[in-house]
Amino acid sequence: MELKIAVPELSKALQRVQGIVEKKTTMPILANVAIETSGKKAISVSATNLEIGLTGTYPAEVKSEGAITLSGKALYDIVRSLPGDTLSLTQEANHWVSLQCGKVSYRIVGMPAENFPSLPRFDEVEFFKIDPAVFRTMIEKTLYSVSTDETRYNLTGVYCEPIDKNSGLRMVSTDGHRLSVIETKMAKAPVMKKGVIVPRKGVSELRRLLEDSKGEAKLGFVENSAVFETDGLTLTMQLLEGQFPDYNQVIPSNSSKKAVLDRKLLLDALKRTSLLSPDKAQGVRLELSNGALALSANNPDLGEAREEIEAEYQGEALKIGFNFRYLIDVLTVLSEDKVELHLNDPLSPGVIEGVGTPGYRAIIMPMRL
Amino acid sequence: MGTQRQIIHVDMDAFYASVEERDDPSLRGKPLIVGGDRRRGVVLAASYAVRPFGVRSAMPMRRAMELAPNAVIVPPRPGAYAEASATVFDIFARYTPLIEPLSLDEAFMDVTASVELFGSASEMARQIRAAILSEVHLPASAGIAKNKLIAKIASDSAKPNGQLEIPAEDSERFLAPLPIGRLFGVGPKLETRLRALGIQTLGDLTRRSPESVEVLLGEGGRELHARARGEDDRPVQPDRAAKSIGAEDTFARDLRGVEALHPHLHAQALRVARRLRRAGLSARVVALKVKSADFRTLTRRRTLPEATDDGQVIFRVVTELLAALAPTYAVRLVGVQLAGLEHTAQQLSIFEAKNEKSRRLNQTLDEIAFRFGVAAISTADLGTPRAGWDESQDEARRRMGAAQTDVTPPTGSKKPR
Repeated sequence: MELKIAVPELSKALQRVQGIVEKKTTMPILANVAIETSGKKAISVSATNLEIGLTGTYPAEVKSEGAITLSGKALYDIVRSLPGDTLSLTQEANHWVSLQCGKVSYRIVGMPAENFPSLPRFDEVEFFKIDPAVFRTMIEKTLYSVSTDETRYNLTGVYCEPIDKNSGLRMVSTDGHRLSVIETKMAKAPVMKKGVIVPRKGVSELRRLLEDSKGEAKLGFVENSAVFETDGLTLTMQLLEGQFPDYNQVIPSNSSKKAVLDRKLLLDALKRTSLLSPDKAQGVRLELSNGALALSANNPDLGEAREEIEAEYQGEALKIGFNFRYLIDVLTVLSEDKVELHLNDPLSPGVIEGVGTPGYRAIIMPMRL
Repeated sequence: MGTQRQIIHVDMDAFYASVEERDDPSLRGKPLIVGGDRRRGVVLAASYAVRPFGVRSAMPMRRAMELAPNAVIVPPRPGAYAEASATVFDIFARYTPLIEPLSLDEAFMDVTASVELFGSASEMARQIRAAILSEVHLPASAGIAKNKLIAKIASDSAKPNGQLEIPAEDSERFLAPLPIGRLFGVGPKLETRLRALGIQTLGDLTRRSPESVEVLLGEGGRELHARARGEDDRPVQPDRAAKSIGAEDTFARDLRGVEALHPHLHAQALRVARRLRRAGLSARVVALKVKSADFRTLTRRRTLPEATDDGQVIFRVVTELLAALAPTYAVRLVGVQLAGLEHTAQQLSIFEAKNEKSRRLNQTLDEIAFRFGVAAISTADLGTPRAGWDESQDEARRRMGAAQTDVTPPTGSKKPR
C-alpha cells in the first residue's frame, strides 16, 4: 500500500474515531484504526469497539492498494503535529508503515488488517432521511437523562420508537429519577415494527457526527443494529437488548398547577440558589404562590440562599423539592424564552416544557423535603 | 512528630456478668455465666469467679457447663446492658469527644487535648473509673499509653478493677516479656508457629531484625515486628460508620425445608430494616447466611438496583436467594446481612412511585414500634416475637457504630408453626 493524503483530511478522519478506539482493551487490535484503500482516489478509515463502528471515506492519491491497522492514538498524535500539508504513507514488510511529511519521517509498526474485526455490512437497510438539525436537537434533549448506571442496563440508552402509523420518531430516556421524551413528525418516517434502545455511547457519537454534518443524513434499523450515514460516514451501533420500561405510565396525564416562567431568569436563579444547596443531596426548595416562585436552599455547613422570581401562576400554594442539577439540565437544553412547569403535589413528578414548541417534555421526580 | 499522644483504653470487667451481680446481690462472688440456650448457645460473659474453671466468653455453653457444672447460668438482659453502656459512654464524653467504641463495654479515648483541663491521662482514667463505679456501680479497668495498641494491652494487664499506665519511654520494656499471643494479630495458629521458631515473647521477636522476621513470616512479618515494638499510629476514630448491619438466629432445634425458615428470615428482614431506617440508611447489598447442622456456612448475596430500607423488599430478596440455594439439609442458623449502606436518598424514584406507599407504611409501623414496643405490631407469619429479646441492644450497638451482627439470641427462636 502506498498513498498520499492531505494532512488535515487524515487528521479529521482520525479525530472522528478517537471516541471509539479502545484505550483499555483485552483485544489490542481494537486500539487500532484500519486504513484501507478504496479505488485510486480514496481511502477508508475505520474503528470499532465491537459495539460501535465508524467508517469514513476520504480523498487520497492511491499509488498501490492495500490495507493496514495502526494505533489510533499514536497515529492521531503524529498526524496532528505534522508541519506539512501532505503525508505519504507506505507499507513495508512485516506490517511496518513509514510516514513521510516533508523532512519528517516516522516508522511505526501496525497489525495486519485481516485481524481487524469486520464492521457489519448491511445491504438491505431501509433508510429514512432525517434532518441533521432536527435529529441533533432530539438527541440533545434526551441524551442528558440517560442512565449511567450499568446495573440498569436497559436504561443506558435512548429508546427510539415510531409514532403512530410511522408518522414520525419518538425518543425517550430516563435514569430512574427523571425522564425526557421528544417526538417529531416526519414526512418520511422510519419504518419500525417496534422500539429499540440505542446505547448512550452510540448516541453521543451520533451527536458528534451531526455537529458537522452538512449534507443529508439517513438512519435505518436492521437486525440488532442501527445504521447512520452522512457525508460519506457510516456509524453502526449495536442496539441494547432488554425491555425499556413503560414510560407512558409515569408521565402525568394532567396537572393541578401550571406556572409559566422565564427560562433564563429561572436558570440564573437556580444557579445562584444552588450555591448553598447541600453538597451531596443537591436539593433546592421551590415555593409556588400567586404570581411568584421562590427558590431556597440551605447547606448546614454554609448557610442559606433565597430568591424570588416572577411566575405566571394563580392558585393554591405549593412547596416542592428538586435536585437543582436536574432542573438546570432541562432548562439548558430548552431554547424557548418561556417554560411551563406542571406540578401536582410535593411527592408527584413535575413536568417542564417549552412554551410554544410542543413535542418535548421533561419529567423530574421531586426530592423529599 | 507532634506531641506525644495520650490514649486511654477502658474495658468493663466481665460486663454482662457484673451487671447481673449488681442487680441481684445473691449472685455476687458466685461462678456466674451469662449465656443463652444450654445446649446450643454460647457464653456471652463469664464472671471472675467462674474463670478459674476455664470458662471464657464465646465458648459453647455445653463446654462451659462441663468445665463448671456448678456455675449459675443467667439469661442475658440486653436492655440492662445497653442502658449501663449508654451511661458509661456519657461519662467518657465528659473528658473528650474523641471516643472510639469497640463494643458496648470497651472504648478508646484520645485525651491528648484534655490534659490541660483535667490533669494527666492517668488522673483522667482514675476519675472515669470512679465515676463508673459511683454512677453505674460497675467495675472497669483502664490502660493508658501513647497509642491504642499499648493502651489495650495495658488495660488487659490491669484487670480486674485496676489501671496501668505505660509511659512512652517504658513501652518496649513493658512489651518485651509479654507472651507472643498477647499481640493483636497473633492467633493460635501463628502463635504455635512462632513458638516453634523459639519466639515465646514479644522481646524474642524484637531482638531479631525486621528483615529476618519478614523472611520467616512473609509480608506481614515486618508489620508484626513493628507492632511488637509497640508501634501503632492508628488514630482514635470516633463515629466509625457501620459498614454492614445484620441479624441472625440460631434455632432451638435444627430446621428442615425452605418454608420453615421463612418466618425467621421475615422477622430478621424487618428487624434489620427497622435499624436501617433508624439510622437514616438504605442498603444496596442483601446477603443471606445459612449454617447447616454440621456447621457449614453458606452465604449468598445480591446487589439491588436501588438501595432499600424496606423490610418486605429485603425479605423478598432473601427468599429468592434461599430458593436458589434450596438447602435440603438440616439448618441450624439463618441470618440476613445488609451491606453497601448509604444515606437514604431523598430523591424519589420515577418507576417506583409505589415505594412511597411502603415508605409511609414503614414510618407508621416504626412509630407504633417506638411507642408500644416491637411486639405490638408485626406481619401475620411472625406470630408473637420471641420473649426476652428486644431491640434495645441492636439500638445500642447501632448508636455506637459497632453494629455488625446480632449475638446469638438468648432463648433460641420461636418454633416454626
